Amino acid sequence: MSERARVILWRLVIFVALVGAWEWLTGVKAISRTPGLYWLDPFFVSRPSLIVQRFVYLASDQVRLSIWQMALSTVQSTLWGFVVGVSTGFVAGLVLGRNDRLARIFEPYIVAFNSLPRIALVPLITMIFGFGLLAKIVLAWTIVFFIVFFNTFQGARSVDADLIHSARFLGGSDRQIMRTVIVPSALAWTFASLTPSISFALIGVVVGEFLGGESGGGLGYLIIQSLGTLNAADMMVALISLGVIGIVMALGIKQIEMRLLRWRPEYRRRA
Amino acid sequence: MRRPRIVVRDLTKTFHDGGREVAAVQDVSVEIRDQEFVAIVGPSGCGKSTILNMIGGLVTPTAGSVAIDGARVDGSVPSQVGYVFQKDTVFPWRTVAANIALGLEYRGVPRAAAQRRVRDAVALAGLAGFEDAFPATLSGGMRQRVALMRTLVVEPQILLMDEPFGALDTHTKITLHAELLTLWEARHQTVVFVTHDLSEAITLADRIVVMSRRPGRIKLVHEVALARPRDVIKLRETDEYAREYGAIWRVLGEEFAGPA
Repeated sequence: MSERARVILWRLVIFVALVGAWEWLTGVKAISRTPGLYWLDPFFVSRPSLIVQRFVYLASDQVRLSIWQMALSTVQSTLWGFVVGVSTGFVAGLVLGRNDRLARIFEPYIVAFNSLPRIALVPLITMIFGFGLLAKIVLAWTIVFFIVFFNTFQGARSVDADLIHSARFLGGSDRQIMRTVIVPSALAWTFASLTPSISFALIGVVVGEFLGGESGGGLGYLIIQSLGTLNAADMMVALISLGVIGIVMALGIKQIEMRLLRWRPEYRRRA
Repeated sequence: MRRPRIVVRDLTKTFHDGGREVAAVQDVSVEIRDQEFVAIVGPSGCGKSTILNMIGGLVTPTAGSVAIDGARVDGSVPSQVGYVFQKDTVFPWRTVAANIALGLEYRGVPRAAAQRRVRDAVALAGLAGFEDAFPATLSGGMRQRVALMRTLVVEPQILLMDEPFGALDTHTKITLHAELLTLWEARHQTVVFVTHDLSEAITLADRIVVMSRRPGRIKLVHEVALARPRDVIKLRETDEYAREYGAIWRVLGEEFAGPA
């Protein structure tokens, strides 16, 4: 058996064992006949079979807001927050990274705003932008912006001076050097921040959905709603869906990153 | 005698080092004539790269002046000058062909013409088959070939080279000496070549400027009396080469004696 197959097999074994144990332990009574006393109480951790049942139900058209709609809303807001955050963070990082005076002027503001726990902003953002999609996007943006900003800033500052000199000797104007030397150099740093950015965008969106209510929709709303009804199964459905969404988006971004950075030796080897 | 292209007069550069003034280059005057291949040799830290950077307009002199074709070099890069750095300055995110095309792109050379010139340059440098390779997959010698062709493809009349082969092994270095000489024989650019390797200087140059230890002053200007075209390998076995080497080493060697 190849090493790869062995690893996959072990992963499967662990998965089956964990889910099996979960299903079994939540079905066995710790003390016989005493109601409610299980080895693992399904009231808190639910049961795999129950989760599947609830998933099928939530995915059907019997519910007003299906899990698909909620997932779509979450993904949509995450991607918007990501795109807006990455583009604004990149531009700001590039501008301040190449302009020492501006960087010195803005430094205290950036540090202060970035030190603020973003969750503390949720009520204010909700007050300003309401309970819909926009508030979630803004929240994701406030997080993603800074991740991308700091990376790009660093990248724009650490452009090799000799590369710029070389370009100048080849006849490059300031504009051409910006486009062909500084932007590509900084982009390498920016790309490295994309995978964490998409994960943090998702965090921002879910936190926004906690407060956003039904009009914001999303899986975060399902979690809060399940808390209200003490429904662990629905909560698990939301958590597992979020996990899947998080993995798929991170893998997608990783693919794009590898494609764009294929000139780097460390990406070539894996590709 | 050919007209002077680069005129360096009383060039001095001092750096600040923790409140102390350190002279890197002191009162250097030299004229480099059209189509001449001049090497500057000296111990490390003698300011030879600083001189090159002042000629190229990358460093502003503390005193004295540099003029290229009669125009004073003043804090900007002269357009007829090409520069090859010691450090790897090939753009890692561009393929070999795209690296070589960069200068043509900057100068707005039409696409078809640019492609033809890049193709010729690639063939000339023995890089055929590697056009679409990224620099990370190339050896140090090949990357330096790309850097050299990228500079030459825009046809600079003056070439400044700062220890371009300093980081390469002896074998690659000698191969590139032969290639550089072939390219130079074809176009006869005016070259200023900085190196700490005396054999390299003798192999390549018409004239060798020997620098003293810091602060760098000119100790000796030596005409290399070796016929061209030169065979970079056979050259080293000849008596003439040994004579040239001995003559310069007597002067340069003094700079290596004593505390470094």
